Amino acid sequence: MTLKFHWMLPKGNEVALDGRQTPREAARYRIESMQSTSAAVRPDIVGWTHFARHAEAAGIDSVLISFSRYEPDPFVVACALGQAVDKLKFIIAYRSGLMQPTTFVQQMNTVSALVQGRVSFNIVAGSSSEEQRGYGDYLSHDERYARAEEFLAVCNAFWRANGDVDYEGKYYRVEQAKLATPFIGTAPAIYVSGHSEQSEQLAHSQGSCWLRVAESPAKLKPIVARTRERGLGVCLRCCLLCRPTRAEALKAVESLLPEDTHENTTTLKDDSQMYREGHELKSDSYWPEPWLWTGLVPHYGPVWTTMIGTPQELAGAFLEYERIGVSEFILSGWPEVETVDLFGREILPLINRS
Amino acid sequence: MSLRFHWMMPKGGEVGMKTAQETSRVATTKASSPAALPDMEGWETFARCAEEAGIEGVLLSFSRYEPDTIFVACAVGQATTKLKFIVAYRLGLMQPPTFVQQINTLSGLIAGRVSLNIVAGSSAIEQRGYGDFLDHDERYARAEEFLSVCHAFWANKDEVNFAGKYCRIEKGKIFTPFQAPDRSEPEIYVSGHSEQAQHLAMTQASCYLRLIDTPEKLRPVVKRFRDNGVEVCLRLCVICRPTMDEAVGAVQALLPAEEIEKQERKILSSSDSQTLKDALSAADNVGWKNRNLYAGLVPFYGSSAITLVGTPRDLAQAFLEYKEIGVTQFIIAGWPKLEEMMIFGREVLPLVREAEEDSYAKAQRRKA
Repeated sequence: MTLKFHWMLPKGNEVALDGRQTPREAARYRIESMQSTSAAVRPDIVGWTHFARHAEAAGIDSVLISFSRYEPDPFVVACALGQAVDKLKFIIAYRSGLMQPTTFVQQMNTVSALVQGRVSFNIVAGSSSEEQRGYGDYLSHDERYARAEEFLAVCNAFWRANGDVDYEGKYYRVEQAKLATPFIGTAPAIYVSGHSEQSEQLAHSQGSCWLRVAESPAKLKPIVARTRERGLGVCLRCCLLCRPTRAEALKAVESLLPEDTHENTTTLKDDSQMYREGHELKSDSYWPEPWLWTGLVPHYGPVWTTMIGTPQELAGAFLEYERIGVSEFILSGWPEVETVDLFGREILPLINRS
Repeated sequence: MSLRFHWMMPKGGEVGMKTAQETSRVATTKASSPAALPDMEGWETFARCAEEAGIEGVLLSFSRYEPDTIFVACAVGQATTKLKFIVAYRLGLMQPPTFVQQINTLSGLIAGRVSLNIVAGSSAIEQRGYGDFLDHDERYARAEEFLSVCHAFWANKDEVNFAGKYCRIEKGKIFTPFQAPDRSEPEIYVSGHSEQAQHLAMTQASCYLRLIDTPEKLRPVVKRFRDNGVEVCLRLCVICRPTMDEAVGAVQALLPAEEIEKQERKILSSSDSQTLKDALSAADNVGWKNRNLYAGLVPFYGSSAITLVGTPRDLAQAFLEYKEIGVTQFIIAGWPKLEEMMIFGREVLPLVREAEEDSYAKAQRRKA
């Protein structure tokens, strides 16, 4: 099986159409996108289409469209962007608990029909209790996972449906449900993300792929093996910084560090195992591998874990992950367009050759 | 103010259908119906014709038999520039902040060309399939809370806090705003004939949407809403032909097989919706409500099939009579949809606009 590479969809208005954006400017834009004055709160079909064409040309399979109260709804964005490009697929991040599973399936199936089946989803249990309460969700971390289990069980029943769907659980009750609009394709791939035990269980029972942040291959090896034995894929999320020499790469990394050494944008993420691990990182463990750097994680969270190096080094790192059983990656970079171009031109050919 | 005319968006596959019989609701609920799938080609054709015909918006209906309306509006909205989308949605299917986030995102992608038609749901069986087990009256009580929360988000002053019986929101904030050239929140149509529906429309909507009836019957209802600053929109069908005889002939040609009638009657009589009950009794007891308003198609095509029948002049006259009593908008359908809409745009609408200009000019002269 060949490795699959996905990319993060840039935030709204993040893409600089003239290409003039330093890595630092791109990083700051993303960091500041959680402010109500940020242009990231508005949909940006022009910038997204520009990025999507570059991603298609680079050999990227799908884009992950993130979900939060700070940005446009990923379902609607996928539907609009899917009209503008015809190869790229969409992984829609969604939190369970925001809508009834029947409605979720109707929306997912409708979007699949409007983008020729190019859609899957990433179920997230939510990481901030304050943000969840703003959506009308008052459950605790563990209960959110119990509910997500039921949510996906109902969804999967629709996608396997032979006849009406009936379900009676603690959180959801559905009677004689049917939806006429089918999913185009067999059923959407379901990425379950998180680092907690509950998220692993949920991935195993209801998902098709477990999504987590990149760590050293040695640490991930047993975890990946466990998931692969169950017939699931494993997908790693990380950032990418690639330069012709290692010295240049390290210099670029320097430019991403915040001026304020106490800067922290993750204080609201109080209810996530993954973010808790990020907070506990010590500075002597910022380099788990010579090509893996977590120096931005204490400031911006685990998804800022970065693979760093020359094209040769990075291709080698991806292949090392492949050897322990990792099957997919969701990448991002600063700026996104230039990094995806570079990945397609310099790194992916080296991986494919092996 | 000029009258505003909207049309029903055809169901998937309907634009290509030649006879009214193929488009009946009973046919839509069959597993083999093409209405289950989006029909971008048909919808784009229809949408462009609607823009040409002078139609302002299209109503997208919501049910378990059709694709989700929000995404249909998004996709067809990418392919058009003028047409507005009145998205029907049932409440109780998602949390209000999520709904606001989706609608706001949609507004930003189609230049604000989105309005909402809030429906409480008319079939208890269908609602239970969506995980909704409330009865008719409770559904309206929930809708009241739901729309209050939505309005609070659109007012967008600060964080939203709400503690009701059905919705509880703490420090809610949705960063993506509703984007439109002239509004900070969508127009909201609330439909239904029950007392609860009227109350909901009065308190939470910008427009009350109901089935057409005779002007005499509607006058007091319309007045009540207009006095409270709420517009009134009528849902109807039209059959327009050069002569009344031809129009009546066209009505006769629409009558489908007996089996369809039996099944549609079952849908209408088992519903817990006041609208549906009213429509069926009008059809059975009256037939012709006045010279041009015919209820006889309801048992075959459902409650919204009360039809204005006549010549272009008859129809223009009728629309102006409704304007006289305070009605401001119409959502129309016909059989087949595309052809009847083109007739309307070509033959009826110019007469309405002419009369509106005349009366505007007269009013200006009186002022002078």
